[in-house]
Amino acid sequence: MSVKVKEQFQVSPVMAFFLIHAMQVGIGVLGYQQVIAKVSGYDSWISILLAGIMVSILISIIYYLLNHGRDDVIGIHKALFGRWAGDTLSFLFIIYLFILGIVVLRTYIEIVQVWVFEDLPTWVLTILAAYFLYYAVSGGFRAVTGLCVAGVFIPSVIFFILLMPLEYGKFLNLLPLFKTSFDKLMLGARESTLSFLGFELLLLFYPFLKEQRSSQKWAQIGHWTSVFVYVVLMIVTLAFFSEPQLKMTIWPTLTLFKIIEFPFVERFEYLGISIWMVIVAPNIAMTFWAASRGMKRLFPMKQRSAVIILTILTVVVTPLIEDRENIDTFNDIISKIGFWTVLVYIPFLCLCQFLAEKIRKKE
Amino acid sequence: MNLFRRKRQYRAAPSSKRVSAWLREISENSKDVSAELVETPFGVLTLYYVDDLINTERLNMDALRPLKKNPWTSYSDIERIIYSDTIKRTTDIQEINERLFTGSVVCQLPSAPDEVLMLEVPTNVQRDISIPETEFSVVGPREAFVEKLETNVFLIRKRLPIEDFRVKNITIGELSKTKTSVFYIDSIADKANVNTVIQRIKDVEYDEILGSNALSQMIQDHSFTIFPAFVNTERPDRAAAALAEGKVVFMCDGSPEAIIAPSTLVEFFTSLEDYYLPWHIASFVRLLRLISVTFSIIATPVYVAVLTFHYEMIPKDLLSTLIASRSNIPFPPLIEAIFLEFTIELLREAGARLPTKVGQTIGIVGGIVIGQASVEAGLTSNVLLIVVALAALASFTSPVYQMGNTIRIIRFPFMIGAALMGGIGIAISFVFVVTHLIRLESLGRPYFAPFFPLRISDWRDTFVRLPFNVLYKRPHQSRAAYRQKLPAEKIGKKKDIDE
Repeated sequence: MSVKVKEQFQVSPVMAFFLIHAMQVGIGVLGYQQVIAKVSGYDSWISILLAGIMVSILISIIYYLLNHGRDDVIGIHKALFGRWAGDTLSFLFIIYLFILGIVVLRTYIEIVQVWVFEDLPTWVLTILAAYFLYYAVSGGFRAVTGLCVAGVFIPSVIFFILLMPLEYGKFLNLLPLFKTSFDKLMLGARESTLSFLGFELLLLFYPFLKEQRSSQKWAQIGHWTSVFVYVVLMIVTLAFFSEPQLKMTIWPTLTLFKIIEFPFVERFEYLGISIWMVIVAPNIAMTFWAASRGMKRLFPMKQRSAVIILTILTVVVTPLIEDRENIDTFNDIISKIGFWTVLVYIPFLCLCQFLAEKIRKKE
Repeated sequence: MNLFRRKRQYRAAPSSKRVSAWLREISENSKDVSAELVETPFGVLTLYYVDDLINTERLNMDALRPLKKNPWTSYSDIERIIYSDTIKRTTDIQEINERLFTGSVVCQLPSAPDEVLMLEVPTNVQRDISIPETEFSVVGPREAFVEKLETNVFLIRKRLPIEDFRVKNITIGELSKTKTSVFYIDSIADKANVNTVIQRIKDVEYDEILGSNALSQMIQDHSFTIFPAFVNTERPDRAAAALAEGKVVFMCDGSPEAIIAPSTLVEFFTSLEDYYLPWHIASFVRLLRLISVTFSIIATPVYVAVLTFHYEMIPKDLLSTLIASRSNIPFPPLIEAIFLEFTIELLREAGARLPTKVGQTIGIVGGIVIGQASVEAGLTSNVLLIVVALAALASFTSPVYQMGNTIRIIRFPFMIGAALMGGIGIAISFVFVVTHLIRLESLGRPYFAPFFPLRISDWRDTFVRLPFNVLYKRPHQSRAAYRQKLPAEKIGKKKDIDE
């Protein structure tokens, strides 16, 4: 392997579970239902399952690529396409990661602005987030992984709380199954793939796993846990909302929060949004770690200075994305890029790797 | 660490002087250094010693009486007569300097004034072994460490009467010459841990070491953290238990506390009583402690956040109670909360500084009178009074005193976050604290274990304390050389019915 990571900075293969799961379950969970339900209606959960199978295959493809390339994506790019073309592709990938991080951050800030504090200026939370990101990422990959573990364990209580609206659910909504046509199901599956984005960071943190080959098992378990969460939450949503109502709700999960009541707490969404920070923080920290790691590999710079550059850029760029439409556009663009990256580009890369090996063998 | 690495020079004993002149000089310079002329039937000799450091009775019995009875002419005769292991002949001023001030008697013959004999007869002044004060437990042994290192070594050695238990002595501090002992069990403790502790202690060049706790701050991994890096204990049983887990323990002469390294966050919430009580009860108590610590940190900030921003969160019936109690109060919740927290901290600090009996009075005056009066005067709401008092009570459940302090302080950033941004503010503070904990290390080992790195097998002794036959492994944290506590064939064996 051309890039050697010292053992003290590596994490055990089990962490692949937390890394993949924490990256997939993020800000998207708050509002993924609407987009899918617009296409596949009451059969949306089948679309999610289809997408789950698809992404599972994609994870195997990534593992094939990384196991054979014996490097992270930047090294593989260099080996396959040469220095210039390879580095350009890597650079584009890093930009994608950085924008992904910013979009997640901005979306979370928007939710806070819409649901909790209407007149909170964007820059306040941005500056706090930037400082946090610097602090977390400068702790290295282990610190970011630790955040992912915390981001899986601590909010896991919320998942069970989200089952409470089933009290008002009507499961008959879901029947009969397969009333949506197959091509619509597939279109829904395409939309669902977006919810599972995040696993592509594996391309960069792969060298940081111990016993890399055996970590695929954990990565797959992590992915299927995400599928389980998405499917169950989708079923709860479908049972609770009527189809026209769901199509008009931007953040169905937050609306579900609203009706949860305890003897001592009402309006659970305030609590939910606060706790959601524990889920979002590792998400953004991970993308920033990956982007800065990529910059370190690509340019002759320290990762610390890369993080500083990225955080400064964040403070400048994030408040510029102003209203709902802007954020939506950004979300659309980044999900389109993400979709094409994982569904087309990664298999293409894998094919190149396969061919390159064949050619090398013949020679 | 630079602070402790700077080189400084103290006035050392001038080795160029003659021994006789130097001895005369120091006995004139300092009142407590005596120069005594002793006459015996066989000749005269001069004794130099520090009055308060030596045991005069033993000096008379062991040295002077034989010298008056048996004939002698030279140093070698005296060495033969006073039969002792600690007697030593020297001409080196440095050595005399060192030993004279740690309880030796210097004996000088007029015939050879530049060579001396030294005999150790230190006094044995020490406090009796008493009951632990800060780590009191209802069941279990009642011994606590004292200020004298030798006694403390004895207290631990008594519990580990094996050859494998090793004691290494290091003297640090140019001024205080503090004797520091490092304990470990050779076959269990990780070599890297032992070496790190010894190396870090040797590297300390601060001139006065105030004691174990000061030393532990000098050698901890991160000096800017608010969390204590190492568990300190005044219980020899806890120190011995830590040693048996493969940890390293060190303590300074003059402080009744041992420091256990490496430590994890969770260990600060465990008490040895957890192991003396049945495991169900121990688990319950430990869970109670962890919940109360969380409550202690979160309670007041949540009050501030909810009443400043999210009053919609409170159900209607509860809200009316709250409004009734707060309706006359002229301050925003943050001021109200800080005022009360300040009062409680004041009571605690005053109570800790005053003698026990006065302290109790202050507690009653402060707790009941001030609390009640401030509610009646309309300065604070009684709901907040309950919350703050409960939170203060909860912060005292941490069995290690240092952690209790941390919990009380860490509440304030949460409170300010809550006042600025409500629940989001609390969440931000929380995420920062978690990140900080993940980054912390104790002796190079992760502080946040067993949560991260995830060590599920150590969870048997984390939130709960499972029965001893399940706790057959030493925790990962100490990197023990062998982890089994039970013989391998005894583990996980269950008898079948009627067998």
